[in-house]
Amino acid sequence: MITKTRNIPDGKDVLKKLPLIHYLEAPYLYYPITNQRCPEGETCVVFGQFVKVGEVIGTRKGAFFEQPIHATVSGEVVGHEMKFDASGKRVNCMIVKNDFKYELHESIQSRTDETIEALTKADYVQIAKDAGLVGLGGSGFPTYIKLNTKNKIDIILANGVECEPKLISDYEVMMDSPEELIQGLIYAMRAVDAPKGIIAVKKKYVEVIERLRFALNAYQAHDIEVVAVGNHYPQGWELEAIEAATGIKVPQFKLPADYGIIPFNVSTLQSLYHAVRFNLPVLERYFVISGDGVVNKSFKARIGTPIQSLIELGGGYVDKSIPKTLIMGGPMMGSNVTNDDIVTTHTATSLIVQNSLMLDDDPCIHCASCVYSCPVDIQPVQIMNAVKANDKDFLKQLSVDKCIECGLCSFVCPSKIHLTDYMREGKRILRG
Amino acid sequence: MHNMTFVSQTSPYIRKDTSTKRMMFDVLIALTPVVFFSVYRFGLDAISRILLSVIIFVGVEALYFLSVTRADGYNLKSKIVNKFKKYSINNFSAPAVSAVIYAMLIPDQLHLYVVVMGALFGAGLGKMIFGGLGMNIFNPAALGRVFIALAFTSFFTGSYSFIDAAAGATALSTSFPNVLNSYSLIDLLVGNVPGSMGEINALAILIGLVYLLIRKSADYRPILSGLLIFTVLATIAGFVLYPTLVFEYVIFQLLSGGLLFGLTFMITDPATSPITRPGRWWFGLIIGSLVFFIRIFGNLPEGVAFALLIGNLLVPLLDYPMWSNNLFTKKFYVSYSSVFVLLAVLTFVLLGGYAI
Repeated sequence: MITKTRNIPDGKDVLKKLPLIHYLEAPYLYYPITNQRCPEGETCVVFGQFVKVGEVIGTRKGAFFEQPIHATVSGEVVGHEMKFDASGKRVNCMIVKNDFKYELHESIQSRTDETIEALTKADYVQIAKDAGLVGLGGSGFPTYIKLNTKNKIDIILANGVECEPKLISDYEVMMDSPEELIQGLIYAMRAVDAPKGIIAVKKKYVEVIERLRFALNAYQAHDIEVVAVGNHYPQGWELEAIEAATGIKVPQFKLPADYGIIPFNVSTLQSLYHAVRFNLPVLERYFVISGDGVVNKSFKARIGTPIQSLIELGGGYVDKSIPKTLIMGGPMMGSNVTNDDIVTTHTATSLIVQNSLMLDDDPCIHCASCVYSCPVDIQPVQIMNAVKANDKDFLKQLSVDKCIECGLCSFVCPSKIHLTDYMREGKRILRG
Repeated sequence: MHNMTFVSQTSPYIRKDTSTKRMMFDVLIALTPVVFFSVYRFGLDAISRILLSVIIFVGVEALYFLSVTRADGYNLKSKIVNKFKKYSINNFSAPAVSAVIYAMLIPDQLHLYVVVMGALFGAGLGKMIFGGLGMNIFNPAALGRVFIALAFTSFFTGSYSFIDAAAGATALSTSFPNVLNSYSLIDLLVGNVPGSMGEINALAILIGLVYLLIRKSADYRPILSGLLIFTVLATIAGFVLYPTLVFEYVIFQLLSGGLLFGLTFMITDPATSPITRPGRWWFGLIIGSLVFFIRIFGNLPEGVAFALLIGNLLVPLLDYPMWSNNLFTKKFYVSYSSVFVLLAVLTFVLLGGYAI
């Protein structure tokens, strides 16, 4: 098929219909001390200490920021253990034994409308920092740094596109708690003094658009609108979502804030609402288990819940004799995990268990489907040839560093060549 | 449940339901109306030449595959068995496509020895020497056709059936207004003219073209670009040379010779095409104008094959990373349209239009 491909079968309709299980029975919860953005971390509790929901139990340290770790249950700190996190890396985790009382920590205090009214930008930044808010769309970028921008911001974009197949957590946030999302958006607008808010939603989600517009009736004083954007992939990519929703074209490698716009994931805005209103960190996330190798189930679970227990609760694997591929995240960009001993983190919303199929690749026939489909307009097939020739100059000329690893080139290839891997290799060669 | 095996893969983990195999078979399906017509028209002569080319193209590919493919095995027998396991359907369908296209390019009475030589050259030097599927820089069918045209010129005399006093090898070899006395435009459309086996029936080719475009197994850009420049140039030539018969002239030029066949089945061969959208527009422009110039200033029944080979030759230039770009930039629009206009003006001047 020599054509531009942008629509991928997303398999979301089936997942949306699954009953939601609110899982609070995990006996032990695991909190990674480090993650991808923060290579170092330390704890501030001792073994045997009793912690409560929302209590700070440690700090992760990144290159230019720190991030508190919060307990999401009450109970006793019992030790630490190596587990896999959402990025597929083995990390050291603190273990808290759940006492199933879910006692709230003293710091969890609701703010009244008047207090919130009086909050300044510095206050918002501090709240977001203390609550350890990060980009819940998958980036894990600290929210307070985004809020602490020096640029003049005109628009806050709530990105609810969620273009990856099989992911439904943002959809559920928008359907279940639109008010929380809208209030979070208002807080973000206040924090950076932005006059306008936009919520970007796929145009095929008519029900979400209706629901959000209905909820917005109560917030007439604020300039917030719902914009229906395209259904294709990768519409949810920050820069594409911005362009589709506002018409502003932000070049790659530039910050959207320089163009007067800050994009947030809808779940991040919901967590901002919780942080500002109740002083709560992120406690729970929607988590969906999908794929043809497992019984599909939709959960709402505390952060730190071991995923094995969710799989077991859901009904376990099917076709156990067939080797499986575990994917944290979506099937296009998710990370591969080689063991199911995983814990849920802030950015984990989906586990896909796929019966692996290894495809033999055919020779490239230069059909150029990958070139036509590339969202950043680079030429995957040329880059593949340059990688094979180890040609650094051409790789630079072909701007392989623009690649966002969306996976479309591999997806469309009729010869089943894994072009995305060549793109990664090309980036490595370019870096030297 | 802890005895599961987990496989390590990298993203993305899903693939589109499409394949190279499908694209190859689409071309074969699109070729069937043309093949049926040639069999209907030339009978056993067509069947024997098509079969012979298929056998040679597929055979050369198989020979090449078995000699260069490395396979593991504990002894010679198991090595050969493992080699055959790697032999995929693409190793049959791709050469079969080339073979059928090649057979459609040759005249029906051509000596079988010449058919064999052209097929061997096309398959061997056209494709295998470069490394097989997807690696060839020239269209194997066109290369084979041009080779026999140059090396076995004498065999072509009298190889086209249907020769009467007025007509030469193809309808094109007859000077223009007179040819309309021998063949009507309808004859050109339904293939009632002399010429290569697959090139004469415009209708059958158009059916194949529509199928290819619907299935998206061919890119419309080079076809459209080539057709556009050819039509414009032909119209200019018509105005200059036969001011009273412009419409007939343009239609005659479009329907006769190998133009439609080449644009449908040969220019769309992805392996020898540029890989960017603007590149494919240029590719069509180059070939469309070359076909026209060969027709108007030269006289070769295989002009389309020549034009295509020259176009293939320029593909690396169009794809050179320093300037190739998949975006339609302002630069592309300006340069494409100025070259287009320049070619039109050049045709007008060269044909003596300034005298009018």
